[in-house]
Amino acid sequence: MISEEYRGAKQWSRDKQAVFTVVWISFLAAAVGTMVFFALFDPVELTGIFDENLDIGRDAGYATGFFFFWALCALCSGVTAYLVRTAPKRDAKHRDQ
Amino acid sequence: MYESAKKIYPREIGGRFANLSKLATIILLGLFYVVPWFNWDERQAVLFDLPARKFHLIGLTLWPQDFPYLAMLLMILALSLFFFTALAGRLWCGFACPQTVWTEVFIWMEQWTEGTRSQRMKLDKAPWSWNKLRRKGSKQFLWITFSMWTGFTFVGYFTPIRELGAEFVALNVGGWTLFWGLFYGFATYGNAGYMREQVCKYMCPYARFQSAMFDKDTLIISYDETRGEPRGRRKRSVDPKVAGLGDCIDCQLCVQVCPTGIDIREGLQYECIACAACIDACDSIMDKMSYPRGLVRYTTEHALHNEGTRVLRPRMFVYATILLILIAGLTTSMATRTPIILDVIRDRNTLYRELPGSMIENSYTLKVINQNDQSRAFTLSVSGVEGISLDGVGDTITVDGGGVLSLPVRARAHRDNAYGIMTIQFNVTAVDDEDVNIVEESRFLGPTP
Repeated sequence: MISEEYRGAKQWSRDKQAVFTVVWISFLAAAVGTMVFFALFDPVELTGIFDENLDIGRDAGYATGFFFFWALCALCSGVTAYLVRTAPKRDAKHRDQ
Repeated sequence: MYESAKKIYPREIGGRFANLSKLATIILLGLFYVVPWFNWDERQAVLFDLPARKFHLIGLTLWPQDFPYLAMLLMILALSLFFFTALAGRLWCGFACPQTVWTEVFIWMEQWTEGTRSQRMKLDKAPWSWNKLRRKGSKQFLWITFSMWTGFTFVGYFTPIRELGAEFVALNVGGWTLFWGLFYGFATYGNAGYMREQVCKYMCPYARFQSAMFDKDTLIISYDETRGEPRGRRKRSVDPKVAGLGDCIDCQLCVQVCPTGIDIREGLQYECIACAACIDACDSIMDKMSYPRGLVRYTTEHALHNEGTRVLRPRMFVYATILLILIAGLTTSMATRTPIILDVIRDRNTLYRELPGSMIENSYTLKVINQNDQSRAFTLSVSGVEGISLDGVGDTITVDGGGVLSLPVRARAHRDNAYGIMTIQFNVTAVDDEDVNIVEESRFLGPTP
């Protein structure tokens, strides 16, 4: 039966699900964060606070900001996913309820 | 990493909903690829000019200070999604989501180069040969070219696309532009070419929580179990009633066409993106068997159980009301928006200066932003303290189109009127239109009385 054939097609491994979900969701969160942050702050003015001679331009400023947010969000949701998935087995029956 | 997921080979199917989804794909992607090429007033009609921190939307230019509009727009979009989900289920998933729409185009390319479902399955199982290399190679060529073009178009929303095109032809594209183009292009390639339904199943938050907006009156795609069961194969000439069979001939076509690889006959499943391919498939079989259409159809849970379906229900009114309020709010605030921004920064170094003739002076820096595209003249005035006047500035100031004017000014008032902390108002009014004006408050300091 063809539907049987598909049954095997339904699963990504748990690790793969976790990795891709973390990457994607943190990407979305970072996109929102970048949008709000740079609507309020101009990267050119921001870099001036740290070092007056630093002149990296807006393009690089936006990109740096975006990857910073992405990394931060990925770290946060990655650690969360890791902790949830590796919680002590004993608690599993509570966890799955 | 991909071994664990068996590939799904969705079978091609024609029909009402296939046509509808083709139409949606062509309109949506057509807009995406064409819009950046339109010009308006000698500049790109839709351009999110990040380097200049300005968004151009046809005749409108938005500044970072207009961010609340964007926030409101996003809220409106989210709420529309709720509204349409409650009304008609996962319309978004099946017909409008970029993941679906781009996947559809990638599947077309797959069909052009590798053929039908069974041909593709055979090709993948076959050992490498010239034919396989040619077919796979041309598929990759189409996919990669299309992805690159997609990335290019995406960047074209942020960098003037005509200039970008010229740079591209001259192989002289700037670093970040190139990076984001490749980034978006690669994401399209991976998502639409390889990850496909896995994105919906594992990575999409909407797919998981959309059921919260569902109720028994929401339009879903469902198999009519009472009519279909017991399913079973039979000859066309056999009367199912006599044979004790339902209308489902168990041909498996609904399963083969499903892009997410589910069996709709098992009931509503969260993997279902409501693309309606199974409806087309089943209808084509029902036609062949001369049974009435609609064994798999758009219906509601209430209708399936022969209970009345209500479109107008409290949930719909709540979503619609909030949606209307938001839309009305956004339109009014956009319509009444004054295209000037005024920032007043008080000079913090001195509280006030005493001038000969018992005058008190405070210093300010005004930032006047003209959000229009044309240069404009404004009158500047100050009020709030009796006899207050401005020094060091003419009667009118002119600000370039889309420009920021930084203007140091001194306000003066007689000390009899100026004592302690007083509130004053700066007023900027367009010379050509009195209604275009903005008032900003600041403090005026004088000696303690």
